[in-house]
Amino acid sequence: MAGSNEVNLNECKMVVPLNTWVLISSFKLAYNLLRRPDGTFNRHLAEFLDRKVPANLNPVDGVFSFDVLIDRATGLLCRIYRPATAEEPEPNIVELEKPVVGDVVPVIIFFHGGSFAHSSANSAIYDTLCRRLVGICKAVVVSVNYRRAPENRYPCAYDDGWTAFKWVNSRSWLQSRKDSKVHIYLAGDSSGGNIAHHVAARAVESGIDVLGNILLNPMFGGQERTESEKRLDGKYFVTLRDRDWYWRAFLPEGENRDHPACNPFGPNGRSLEGIKFPKSLVVVAGLDLIQDWQLAYVEGLRKAGKEVKLLYMEQATIGFYLLPNNNHFHTVMDEISEFVSSDC
Amino acid sequence: MKRDHNHLQPNPDPSSLRGAPSTGKAKVWDEESAQQDCGMDELLAVLGYKVKTSDMAEVAQKLEQLEEVMCNVQDDGISHLASETVHYNPSDLSTWLESMLSELNPPSTFDPFGAAGTAAAALDDSFLGPAESSTLTTLDFDNINRKHQKSGQQIFEEASCSDYDLKAIPGKAIYSQKTQPQTHDSSSSSTPTNVKSEKRFKSTSGPPSPSDIFPPPPPPAAASYGIPTASTRPVVLVDSQENGIRLVHALMACAEAVQQNNLNLAEALVKQIGFLAISQAGAMRKVATYFAEALARRIYRFYPQNPLDHSFSDVLHMHFYETCPYLKFAHFTANQAILEAFEGKKRVHVIDFSMNQGMQWPALMQALALRVGGPPAFRLTGIGPPSHDNSDHLQEVGCKLAQFAKKIHVEFEYRGLVANSLADLDASMLDLRPSEVEAVAVNSVFELHKLLARPGAIDKVFSVVKQMKPELVTIVEQEANHNGPVFLDRFTESLHFYSTLFDSLEGSVSSQDKVMSEVYLGKQICNVVACEGVDRIERHESLTQWRNRLSTAGFSPVHLGSNAFKQASMLLALFAGGDGYGVEENNGCLMLGWHNRPLITTSAWKLTNKTTAISQ
Repeated sequence: MAGSNEVNLNECKMVVPLNTWVLISSFKLAYNLLRRPDGTFNRHLAEFLDRKVPANLNPVDGVFSFDVLIDRATGLLCRIYRPATAEEPEPNIVELEKPVVGDVVPVIIFFHGGSFAHSSANSAIYDTLCRRLVGICKAVVVSVNYRRAPENRYPCAYDDGWTAFKWVNSRSWLQSRKDSKVHIYLAGDSSGGNIAHHVAARAVESGIDVLGNILLNPMFGGQERTESEKRLDGKYFVTLRDRDWYWRAFLPEGENRDHPACNPFGPNGRSLEGIKFPKSLVVVAGLDLIQDWQLAYVEGLRKAGKEVKLLYMEQATIGFYLLPNNNHFHTVMDEISEFVSSDC
Repeated sequence: MKRDHNHLQPNPDPSSLRGAPSTGKAKVWDEESAQQDCGMDELLAVLGYKVKTSDMAEVAQKLEQLEEVMCNVQDDGISHLASETVHYNPSDLSTWLESMLSELNPPSTFDPFGAAGTAAAALDDSFLGPAESSTLTTLDFDNINRKHQKSGQQIFEEASCSDYDLKAIPGKAIYSQKTQPQTHDSSSSSTPTNVKSEKRFKSTSGPPSPSDIFPPPPPPAAASYGIPTASTRPVVLVDSQENGIRLVHALMACAEAVQQNNLNLAEALVKQIGFLAISQAGAMRKVATYFAEALARRIYRFYPQNPLDHSFSDVLHMHFYETCPYLKFAHFTANQAILEAFEGKKRVHVIDFSMNQGMQWPALMQALALRVGGPPAFRLTGIGPPSHDNSDHLQEVGCKLAQFAKKIHVEFEYRGLVANSLADLDASMLDLRPSEVEAVAVNSVFELHKLLARPGAIDKVFSVVKQMKPELVTIVEQEANHNGPVFLDRFTESLHFYSTLFDSLEGSVSSQDKVMSEVYLGKQICNVVACEGVDRIERHESLTQWRNRLSTAGFSPVHLGSNAFKQASMLLALFAGGDGYGVEENNGCLMLGWHNRPLITTSAWKLTNKTTAISQ
């Protein structure tokens, strides 16, 4: 047992820079402490260990942020990231919701990852990522602090995503000049990618346009054990056992992984044929054990005639987009920029 | 790049226009280059982890070791790490990993190669929490469980909770309106309690010392990780600005007019604010009203009387204590740190700069009473301002505590010291005993910022504190910069700070408590906005600023751990509208915030260098 672990750890270390390996391994370690075998979660320790950053009105690298309480009943917070402008390098505290300037201003609603249980909008890793997105896409980014499992199961995260979506869509200050509409993109990594999909589905059902979905290593699954899951189990930071735990924690009690939340194109899923679903950019890491599900998702979109671009990053592991120290990172950021700017 | 040492210029230049905030982008680069000098991995630093590039391989090795060990231990080994072990400062990865390795591996079988590197985990002590570390047990656990079971949450299903002997936090229980017999005489020597009569002394006159007004900039190592926390301005919008925007605009415009000395305009705007405020609801209306009143006072030069009538301010303070968790959080977290620092000490002495009604101390005394091995002898020196009536306020408080101590069988000694300012203190007034005999903790809750109103005062106090040779100094302060040189900046910052604070009060159950708390806070608002010079005592500064001051003055951080964090979090859940409150760990300090906006911070400190204390 110890021997095979060593092999795993060595392999793992060879495909990522050392500081990335340290970062993700620390998360893995911490997360192992937080998940209890009985399905409960050590939330206090999780919040203690999570590295957070406050919002900051002082621009850092041209981006400032502030938090907004958008639903008091659920305590739903969003963190808004805006670019500081040349005309106003120091944002005025009374004009945080000043109208965006531009014919077309993309607004990216971002859902952080964490397998539905971990992290927050103010986690340092996600604060950093969102700030990057502002610069890369010349966008306003709204990061949603959705309720997490196991305390809040399906559909809480989706409901919060929907609440945030409606809020964003109804902000006059976020409207682009060209058509007085808010140009919304949905984005997310891991569980956030999953949420983005479901919020997009709800949006189109309600007749509100979403310009595009950006899914980074989105979290999908199913009852079946796929080839990639068996092959990569435990090899690159993630185990099947932990994936199962998170689904059990998120899905309604008694449901299995073929629930449409987990497996949108599975046996209980619904085809998107004939529905005006937005174009999607789906990034899959070649060393992610759930890639077969992610690829099945892409296939599901294609079969229904939806526009989808797949970025398959062969030697990438989970979390490669957290640190700008590898080629996958830069490739993906360029593609995201392209994906968003092609509408401008 | 200007570094903002605000005690330099207590009197602002009213004609100065609103310039750039004192710190800005330039500071980012300075911080980052400073970090480069320290050899920290910048990418990890941005994500909240302090790891030296040169230590990376070793940290990786510890991770591997830990992984292997965790594979081999049973599930309860992991569960032990999760629920029993006290974790400290997760930003310092190396030390954190080390502490877990020690928990899982007894030292005798431990690979010394792994241990060697930890000496380099330089800045802070690796204060490894022993699993049996005592914890302040002050919560009504049954109520928490019931509350959460109702809403179907399972987060508190913790096996270890049955070990806690939990009691309610004393508040009204001890200081109820039912009068207790006042006994001024010290009990006879056969009883363990001893209340010394307070000493009264006059504030020293004479000019403050010109030295130490310009401390050198702190060394880069004192800064936290690469994020420019010095220039962080967190804001949470709790009201849709669309409703209150005209009101906020009017307030800001008025403040700007005041700053520019355009008093006619300011006057007109203040009246307008009054009308606008009426149409607002809830917290925003009240906050606007207080700020408008403060602006009016500034315009008409009708400054509030300082200081308040003592008994009235006591009443306000107590209502504030009951309504919202800020004071309880402050007391609780400070007490936790003090309890840990006093471990193993037979005689302890707490010097409280913020005595008020002494509400912080029963919980600590109780925890000490329950200590394994029995309580230490507990001495308390309470410092406070003089009473305006003829009552011997500090003495009364001491008596109540003495009675309490007697009930719980803790040997207790008390002295009250009256002082107009903490800067009037000298070490000789404190009857300090040798540190081998008696361990000292200094406690200050919302007091230190007042010293920034007079040049040299804070440095004098730090120097006196060092002479006390404390094991620990606990400091709780508002998390905000209300002491910038530009009036409009102070106004803006405090407007958002108090808006957030008032918003958190809205959920209060008792409307009387709420009103009193608002009045209590309203007085602070008035001071920040309407006063200047030595009268402006609400000179709040941020954690980063306090860190700089303390490290320059010769103090090093002592970290608060996951046990304090957890208990503080559970405390918050008891308050109505508790969902908005949150605790955050920040490099060993604990912050309490409302909807992610940090509002108060508890930090703990020790002397960097014990031996030089005497010469200061």
